[in-house]
Amino acid sequence: MSAVAQNSSDLATTPEQWLAENIALSNRQIFRHALARFADVDARIVLLEADLAGNGDPFPARHGNRFFNVGICEATMIDMACAMAKLGYIVFAHTFAPFVMRACEQVRNGMAYGQANVKLVCDYGGVAGAFFGPTHHAIEDLAILRAMPGMTVLSPADALETVHATQAIASHDGPVYMRLGRNRVSRLQVPRVTFEIGRANCLKEGSDVGIIAHGEVGVAVALCTAQQLEDMGVSALVMNMHTLKPLDEAAVAETAHRTRLLVTVEEHNILGGLGGAICEVVCSLGLGRRVLRLGLQDRYDAYAGSHEYLLRGHGLDAEVAAQRIVALLPHPRPMAQATRNSI
Amino acid sequence: MEVTTAASATGSDFESLRTRARNVRRLILQLAGTATGCHLGGCLSVVEILIALFGHVMRTQSPASCYEPSRYDSDHLVFSKGHAAAGLYAALAEFGWVDAQLLIESYNADGSPFTGHANARVPGVEFSTGSLGHGLGLGVGLALGRRLREETNSVFVVCGDGEMGEGSNWEAMQLASQHRLANLTLIVDRNGGQNDGDTESILAQRDLLQRLQTFGFQAFEVDGHDLGALCQALQAPVASRPRAVVANTQKGAGLPMLQGKHAHYATFTATQLRRALRSLEEASS
Repeated sequence: MSAVAQNSSDLATTPEQWLAENIALSNRQIFRHALARFADVDARIVLLEADLAGNGDPFPARHGNRFFNVGICEATMIDMACAMAKLGYIVFAHTFAPFVMRACEQVRNGMAYGQANVKLVCDYGGVAGAFFGPTHHAIEDLAILRAMPGMTVLSPADALETVHATQAIASHDGPVYMRLGRNRVSRLQVPRVTFEIGRANCLKEGSDVGIIAHGEVGVAVALCTAQQLEDMGVSALVMNMHTLKPLDEAAVAETAHRTRLLVTVEEHNILGGLGGAICEVVCSLGLGRRVLRLGLQDRYDAYAGSHEYLLRGHGLDAEVAAQRIVALLPHPRPMAQATRNSI
Repeated sequence: MEVTTAASATGSDFESLRTRARNVRRLILQLAGTATGCHLGGCLSVVEILIALFGHVMRTQSPASCYEPSRYDSDHLVFSKGHAAAGLYAALAEFGWVDAQLLIESYNADGSPFTGHANARVPGVEFSTGSLGHGLGLGVGLALGRRLREETNSVFVVCGDGEMGEGSNWEAMQLASQHRLANLTLIVDRNGGQNDGDTESILAQRDLLQRLQTFGFQAFEVDGHDLGALCQALQAPVASRPRAVVANTQKGAGLPMLQGKHAHYATFTATQLRRALRSLEEASS
């Protein structure tokens, strides 16, 4: 893990400045720093690990007595977390997203059914594990977790949102699954509004296409796609759906009313994740919009490659996405760029 | 909050505990006589274990003062063999946590918290169980949490022997041993049976005592229907390591008519219930 800048500002009170001073950190590293910082002021926070803390984790260094590395025992880690939560602790548990599927039943019975105050934070979401192969990819996790009653499911998009989400879930009473990626990703240059669990943020206004996205890859691709569309004369709205459950149905309805085509972008199987969730809302509320689901194409990537290579293979690429959107955009056709520019 | 601590063992204590065991068995039979029945064999095998815990070993709060399962001033019971819920509910009724009449009337009925597998919505039930292999992991978490809080409360986990097939138990045992959880006790109700037949012929738990010792437990083996022996093993001093008690029991214990039969689940007709209750009274007279 990269060294943290010395004489740095305070992550809790001036996170934007702290992040600017620690530009090399990935979101999953930022999560660890944020949790260690919040644990400075909240003695109820404990962290369980299943042998994947890595080097340089600030939490055990600062809060050794509240850090338990259980070894390679994901299932027992979740049961332990649920029991510790019963004694009043705010229990964070971490492993890779693909490996938590082994402990699915512990998550279901202990966390969801038991409504345990456990925050399960998993990195290696999507195909961020790239060349490590599909055993280290998680393309189904959100679908599984979303189907568990009482579970809150988050997928923050960038560094600042990861800090805000970490703070929000620590204060939220109840079971949470928060999904992170693996690699360092770009930090979004968008105006920030207050982060609130269950409330989508509109990152860009638009009137032809409504793009709804989550996560480190999904939101970045959505913003790039929107830019490409603008260049083609198509006005695109971008909605950051950082909370997959509870889903902000009002934001979906509003996006549908203001545009003519809905598009979901995510680094997850197009079945059961955000794409599935939006289709459920569109149908059940009778919003009458077609939904183009961009995401992982219901297959495992059995061949090696970089993260970007694998994403391109699934069409998670702004140029490809923009072309597919324009091809599907219903009448009235968008105004030609020349016409628009002349107005 | 009233807290009762473990009493010293005297002959008369055990006589009153034996009476309680009979009461619990009678109630279990009545639950087997309801429309949906219960896991009778495993309920009857675990009776003395529950009586020893609630009646003698565990520090428990008075039921009236505490509905909330996280009983901060009391010891913990994690009933991992959740299919024997009828046995647990009956024991809770005997010790005043739930109303026996209400239990018989609403067991498994529409809208009732008395589900066929242990339900944390029932006073005195700390975790909902029923899927096997979760209790010991929960127990390890409670024991570590109590230590972190610098509290001395003990944690008791009751598993079945068939349940030892679940790999998660062996994960949890390693952790109990690694963290030297002397405040944790695993009790295995070794009744020798599971859903499809004899544990010995399906996935034998041979040398269970030795395996537990190898995994770092101070392990005792007792007759699981001998209240004196159970209490002694559950209270014997252990040196900074978790404790395990292998309680050799019989499925359907206390009911001669079930001896030697594979009585995993039973739903009694009115006639069968009368016969079972008579069999119980004859056996205990």
